[in-house]
Amino acid sequence: MPALANTTRAIARSWTQHSLPVARASCGTMQSRSISEVHTTSSFDSPFKGQGSSTKIPNFGAYKSNKKSEDGPKLLQYFMVGTMGALTSLGAKATVQDFLVNMSASADVLAQAKVEIDLAAIPEGKNVIIKWRGKPVFIRHRTESEIKEAEDTKWEALRDPQSDADRVKKPEWLIMLGVCTHLGCVPIGEAGDFGGWFCPCHGSHYDISGRIRKGPAPLNLEVPEYDFPEDGKVVIG
Amino acid sequence: MSSFTSFLYNSIFRRNTTMLATVFAGAFAMQLAFDTGSDRVWDSINRGRQWKDIKYKYIQKAEDDGDDDE
Repeated sequence: MPALANTTRAIARSWTQHSLPVARASCGTMQSRSISEVHTTSSFDSPFKGQGSSTKIPNFGAYKSNKKSEDGPKLLQYFMVGTMGALTSLGAKATVQDFLVNMSASADVLAQAKVEIDLAAIPEGKNVIIKWRGKPVFIRHRTESEIKEAEDTKWEALRDPQSDADRVKKPEWLIMLGVCTHLGCVPIGEAGDFGGWFCPCHGSHYDISGRIRKGPAPLNLEVPEYDFPEDGKVVIG
Repeated sequence: MSSFTSFLYNSIFRRNTTMLATVFAGAFAMQLAFDTGSDRVWDSINRGRQWKDIKYKYIQKAEDDGDDDE
């Protein structure tokens, strides 16, 4: 039994002693083997066999431009880049413009936005009510005495202080929105305590310049944008 | 040819600012050309069918009737 153990131990030792140098040698060959040696041990036939180095840089000289300056192919590159940029900016501009145009007022809205009135048909001392953007607009052809009364009023102490010159462009034509600034009723013309307009809903009195004088309304009657493009014509809006 | 290309390079592509300015100006010019060109093509395809082609018939008739608005 001990003899057998000794024998196996000796065999095992001799085997390791024998196998170790082989392993070392194979390690060494693995580390140091080059491409030329591969084909002797491998069945794979390398396309690089017999070459010292696998890295061979081809010569592109035949494709290179001989010109030293920036013109030639580079100019074409720049030109293509610039053309591409121009097309891209064109597309971007068109996209942004489409969105902005989409947001702006359409033609049918713009067509109703302005109203032109012939002033020659309105005699002195008369009111005319027209419809503009769904709201009534008062046009008053004021007489000389009414103009004088409107201008002479002590407007600094009024609830919404505003001089008559700030409310009219031509003194004989008073143009304002016919919507009471209290709750939006339409005031009655040539009525009230001050010779102007009177709102029947809650009793607001406006004078001959459309300013609030008495009653619950907080502000004067609103004056819209208007213009006199020629004599006897007014364009509201 | 060589002098032209070098002039092109020196005047346009050498500086980024001139390059950008040229690109935007080119975009503007391209838009003008495209818009007018496509309008012309449209008008030539639809010749005789648009209001501006037949306007003269109706405008003259309106003037005959009286001083109507256009």
